Amino acid sequence: MAIVAQNSKYGQTGRTILAWAVGLLFFFPIFWLVLTSFKTDADAVKPEFLFFFTPTLENYTNMTENYDYWRFATNSVITSVFATIFALAVGIPCAYAMAFNPSRATKDVLMWMLSTKMLPAAAVLYPMTFLTKSLGLFDTHFMVIIVLCLINLPIVVWMLFTYFKEIPKEIIEAGQMDGVNTWGEIKEILIPLAWGGIASTALLCFIFCWNEAYWTVRLTTTDAATLSKLIEGNRAPEGLFFGRLSAVSAAAVGPIIVLGWFCQKQLVQGLSFGAVK
Amino acid sequence: MSNRTLPRLLQSPAVLLLLVWMLVPLSMTLYFSFIRYVLNNLRRPEWTTPALSNWRGFGNYEFVLKSKDFLFAIQNSLLIVCSILFLTVILGVLIAVLINKSFPGQGIVRVLLISPFFVMPAVNAVLWINMILDPVLGLQGIAVAGLNEMVAGLREMPVLGGFFSLWPEFNPISFRATQTSAYAVIIMVTWQWTPFAILIFMTSLQSEDQQQKEAAILDGASTWSQFRFLTLPHLGRPIAIVVMIQAIFHLSLYAEIEIVSRGNGNKNLPYLIGEFANNNIGAASATGIFAVILANIVAIFLLRMIGKTLME
Amino acid sequence: MGRIVLENVTKSFGETQVIPPLDLTIEDGEFAVFVGPSGCGKSTLLRVIAGLEDCTSGKVFIDGEDMTQISPSKRGLAMVFQSYALYPHMTVRKNIAFPMRMAGMPEDEQNKRIEAAAASLNLTDYLDRKPGQLSGGQRQRVAIGRAIVRDPSAFLFDEPLSNLDAALRVGMRLEITEMHERMKTTMIYVTHDQVEAMTMANKIVVLQAGVIEQVGSPLELYHKPRNKFVAGFIGSPKMNLIEGAEAAKHDAHTIGIRPEHIEVSTTEGLWQGSVGVAERLGSDTFIHIHGVDGCDPMTVRASGDVEVRHGDTIYLTPDATQIHKFGADGLRME
Repeated sequence: MAIVAQNSKYGQTGRTILAWAVGLLFFFPIFWLVLTSFKTDADAVKPEFLFFFTPTLENYTNMTENYDYWRFATNSVITSVFATIFALAVGIPCAYAMAFNPSRATKDVLMWMLSTKMLPAAAVLYPMTFLTKSLGLFDTHFMVIIVLCLINLPIVVWMLFTYFKEIPKEIIEAGQMDGVNTWGEIKEILIPLAWGGIASTALLCFIFCWNEAYWTVRLTTTDAATLSKLIEGNRAPEGLFFGRLSAVSAAAVGPIIVLGWFCQKQLVQGLSFGAVK
Repeated sequence: MSNRTLPRLLQSPAVLLLLVWMLVPLSMTLYFSFIRYVLNNLRRPEWTTPALSNWRGFGNYEFVLKSKDFLFAIQNSLLIVCSILFLTVILGVLIAVLINKSFPGQGIVRVLLISPFFVMPAVNAVLWINMILDPVLGLQGIAVAGLNEMVAGLREMPVLGGFFSLWPEFNPISFRATQTSAYAVIIMVTWQWTPFAILIFMTSLQSEDQQQKEAAILDGASTWSQFRFLTLPHLGRPIAIVVMIQAIFHLSLYAEIEIVSRGNGNKNLPYLIGEFANNNIGAASATGIFAVILANIVAIFLLRMIGKTLME
Repeated sequence: MGRIVLENVTKSFGETQVIPPLDLTIEDGEFAVFVGPSGCGKSTLLRVIAGLEDCTSGKVFIDGEDMTQISPSKRGLAMVFQSYALYPHMTVRKNIAFPMRMAGMPEDEQNKRIEAAAASLNLTDYLDRKPGQLSGGQRQRVAIGRAIVRDPSAFLFDEPLSNLDAALRVGMRLEITEMHERMKTTMIYVTHDQVEAMTMANKIVVLQAGVIEQVGSPLELYHKPRNKFVAGFIGSPKMNLIEGAEAAKHDAHTIGIRPEHIEVSTTEGLWQGSVGVAERLGSDTFIHIHGVDGCDPMTVRASGDVEVRHGDTIYLTPDATQIHKFGADGLRME
């Protein structure tokens, strides 16, 4: 430690300042978004009101009037929640089997799943639109839920797989000796043990669903349209309505950012597929 | 006994769903890519329904290859993805090393840093292109205007004024223009994904062998050699993972491009497909197949690179 | 009851055969120990008996019934794992109750058995704790408790003591042996530690590369090792194996003599060597001797503290009645 201490008196202070500067810089756009959301549309574009202005809640109170925010938000919640539930319902048994009864094909199946994630969504844009329209599923919650579930399924299976792999195989075997069937193993042992991992997988899946902006925009018009659609449909031309646009944007990303703060540690492990610990 | 069948049964819903999800639309795309299929055509109404009688062979592919946008879109896709990867990895490593050692407020700084990752892409684009990068009303415009005003003020000064009058008037950059819109996308996506890289690198740094470091210090290694010969190799695997995951997400960037410039001067393959799909489904499908091929090349390359480390 | 018979059992993982065809009978009430170096297939064999691994071919009988295709929980066996494999999210009580709950046993019967098991294992005060709050030895007891309450026809132990420190290991060794004496239930115990095998077993099964090298009581193995491998594996310090001219005198390819069967003298003896390291345990001294023809170093166990120093010349005389002879094929010659 002594060697380190020699040059660290000023280094320490400098590093602290630099680190804070970088942190604030990265956070600044979000801060700016929130700040702007408290300005009136007129004030938002005036340089003299950059930081000092009379804050107003008008943009938030008018959100329903201007943008029909709550309908889109409700759709976002419904589709993201159900897509996450379905993805877990399909993903948990799959990851369980892969983690505790791996066969020689398991590795390939996992890799293949990941590779489906790499397929460009745009490549199947028209067939998907065609199919959903001909099945009468266009602009329905059901379709959005299915699509969100499927595009996130590979990540969900991967994350769960890495969490499950950390459970000692012996515990599952002890369960087998103790006479539980497969369902019991999942319910009594696996889920309680991997609860943290399952929760963070669910959270990440939810975040990805919430932020999804390709299919939700293209497979909906109004009834099942989510917040992504709302924002994308209302990008203000040349600075009009900065205030209210900021408010609706802040309201769209705020809850997710807060959610993300709480689970950042678990997210790393899952997102890096357990390769980084 | 059931030792093999049960696991298969448990995996099958997920596998089958993904298989259907992948194969059905993809085979339709493949089919459409070989026929003449447009949404509107008054002269040839038969082309507006998909049918084998409209077989065009590789005609759509030729059409796409010859279209001036195609090569541009591929170049642009690669430019955007590679720039983002490069910037996020470099920034990620630097910032991760910077905030890895504890300092007052480390927890808060970490929270500040991670936040952009959770911002919805649509909001990200709207926020940057309107409120920050806009040449007149955004912060950029305001900053440049302020700078010009200040320089103008300095020109009035008695002695130094002559010096400042040599300075040019600053012009804000319009990020919606043909040449620059790709940079806007790169900036905003880098802002969003650097936190991801930081988070992964930082976690990895925390598992770095401290005894090894202490041994290096005793051996007289400088801070730089420690970084170069211990830390950087240790980060090899996380870097590979960051590259792979980001490649997965960025090859299909769409919302940002749509919002920044509606693809004006800044198309990537997904965007080009979207444009074709407004009318010429055949061409859109052929482009789609090209995109799939490109994605497969990248995927094979990446999975080869890190597939093994993932399974350990 | 718990008579376990393996008939022609083999096990392969992919192309590699880890257990070539193997027959073994473990009588009811026996304490059988599978011992061998790591990777010899002893754990795999135990898991095949437990049903956690399918055998590739052959049959497993428990009490005369063919159990080869039966799932682990229906074989009536209980297993104690190396890592204890306790359910970390359940209290000790729930851990012990788990197999009974799965079997649908009435609650008051469950409680009765839990109390009894806890009392006999000194766990009564810890029933409401979680495994994370227990010491290694206590966890081990919980694992045993979980096995006992099922009233199995046989207990399977997979290196249960290897995660404990030395002092606890000796204590638990005694407890398990004691438990066997009391319950008289068949136990199969896997270990790589030949001391555990010698002290606990009535029947030792020595395995190497999936092949049974010898089956017998501890003293049988000690006095009459069937081959060089068993001779070297059983007994501590290891038997000295001597090749060459000295062996030829006994018409053998190799002769073996245990360190405790060699007489040490500073003046005269059959063999001569120089003292290398002397390890003094107080009660005994292990002397490693260099320069003896055909065996270098040779280890000798002298009782008490012997006055030798590094480099001293020393004379050795083996107890002629205790010399083991082995042929060129490694098998024992009588």
